[in-house]
Amino acid sequence: MLRQLLRRGGDVARRVLAAWDGYWEFGFRSESEKRGLALLKQWLSPQQLAQYNAHRCFDVTGCHSGKRYRIRHGVGMNVYELDALGRPLVGRCFVPKDNLVAGDVMLAQKIALETNERGALLVARTFPPRWRADQTIA
Amino acid sequence: MAVQIIMDHSGDSRHEFNPEDAAALFKAEQRFNELMRGGYTGAVRSPTGDPTVIRRFDPAAEETLFFPRLVGG
Repeated sequence: MLRQLLRRGGDVARRVLAAWDGYWEFGFRSESEKRGLALLKQWLSPQQLAQYNAHRCFDVTGCHSGKRYRIRHGVGMNVYELDALGRPLVGRCFVPKDNLVAGDVMLAQKIALETNERGALLVARTFPPRWRADQTIA
Repeated sequence: MAVQIIMDHSGDSRHEFNPEDAAALFKAEQRFNELMRGGYTGAVRSPTGDPTVIRRFDPAAEETLFFPRLVGG
C-alpha cells in the first residue's frame, strides 16, 4: 500500500516537473505554438538564439542590401528595419499566406530576409514603428 | 533518414523518408514539386547553419523546410 502510494506520488512529481520544464522553456503555450518555437530555435544562429532568449526578438541581415532588421515575437507587424544605431526606422509587414503560429511566421520572415530580401520587401507593407526608444537593443 | 518539414497551423507536419529507398525518394520528390507548385518556398541549411532557398529537389538534403508564399500583412 505504502509502496503504491509512493510510486503514484513519484509519477505525479515527474509529471509536474515535466510541465514545469515545458513552462520554463516555452511559457503557457499550445502544443502548436511550442512546435513552432522549437523549429524556430533550431534554425536560429547561436547569436540570434541568445538574443531571442533574452529579448524575444532577433536581428537578421538582409542578403541584398546588408541592412539590419529586427524580428520581434509575433505573427504580424513585427519586422523593423533598423538604422545604423539599431533604432527602428520603418516597419515592414509581410507574413506567410496561411494562418501559422508565431515561431513559424518569424522563421519564414528570417529565411526570406536572409535569402530573398528584395522579394520579401516587394510584398511587404510599411508601417510606422511603434517602438519605444527604451526597447532598443544595441 | 531525411525529413521534409511543412509549416502549417499545427506548427508543422513532418515527412520522414529513407533517401536510399528509390520509391521513398520518388515520393519525396513528388511532394517537393507539389509544394513548389502550391507556392511554397523550400529551404535547407548549409553546414554553417545559414538558410538557402532551393527550387529543385535535393535528394542529398537531410532536412528541407517549406513555408507558404509570403504576402503583405
